[in-house]
Amino acid sequence: MSEHDHGHRHDTPPNPYHSSERSEEHNRVLTERVAKLEALLVDKGLVDKAALDKLVELYENDLGPMNGAKVVARAWVDPDYKRRLLEHMVVVENTPEVHNLVVCTLCSCYPWPVLGLPPTWYKDAAYRSRVVIDPRGVLADFGTEVSDDVEVRVWDSSAEIRYLVLPERPAGTEDMSEERLAELVERDAMIGVRKVLAA
Amino acid sequence: MTTERTARPEIAAMDGNSALPRRSGELVFHDEWERRAFAMAVSLAEQGRFEWSAFQRQLIEAVAHAEADDPLHPSRGYYESWLAALEAVLAERQLLQVPAAA
Repeated sequence: MSEHDHGHRHDTPPNPYHSSERSEEHNRVLTERVAKLEALLVDKGLVDKAALDKLVELYENDLGPMNGAKVVARAWVDPDYKRRLLEHMVVVENTPEVHNLVVCTLCSCYPWPVLGLPPTWYKDAAYRSRVVIDPRGVLADFGTEVSDDVEVRVWDSSAEIRYLVLPERPAGTEDMSEERLAELVERDAMIGVRKVLAA
Repeated sequence: MTTERTARPEIAAMDGNSALPRRSGELVFHDEWERRAFAMAVSLAEQGRFEWSAFQRQLIEAVAHAEADDPLHPSRGYYESWLAALEAVLAERQLLQVPAAA
């Protein structure tokens, strides 16, 4: 697909989705329109304000990368989740000598108990075939520079084994707290298509 | 009413022009009304007021309509189309007597 020609679009929609594209006035009208609709639905007993809040929270938290604490807590309370988590998850470490990259050439096997749902491009045939043939080219598409003397390893996920990349800690982060560091880690770095950047 | 523990795959995994706007896998909402509109549609579908596929059909149509002139510059944002789709499916199912829009 053509939108995969550039590294940065991927699952982020183009600018028309941004509120900055809307005037304040237009946004106010939309806010009112939604509030009216919600009031009507609440009136009819079709929706519940608290339930809506919970839903938003669930979807906002459930779809993105999860952090370790969330993973552990979830494993404690959800036996199904724990079973999936323990099913053959392998962590591969990026070092100054080796850069790891994860793909599923067959379908879209993905360590989703830890990372949430895969990005659309991960399931795209273009990524799945090209990353095996030309991993450095794919990395370049994502704007990721890996020098020629670094070995690039591609790991093919399967139903039995899922891989998670432990990215290299970026230079200049020596004084950062664990919380600050966690904020730097994006999902793409845990698939291996990007590096973690200090800024 | 049971609370779902996890996001529904048929909602989370919508692709093509109905795919949820995301950044690094996480949903992107720019304004609170977008969150409310999102949650209303999901909540009603989870209660079985309409099938998700029925809503998604309306959503695809609404987004396509917005992209008819120029796909790179839709005439309205994703959640505006979402809202239009929600209103359409509510009207279709006669779940509300929505007063005619001004």
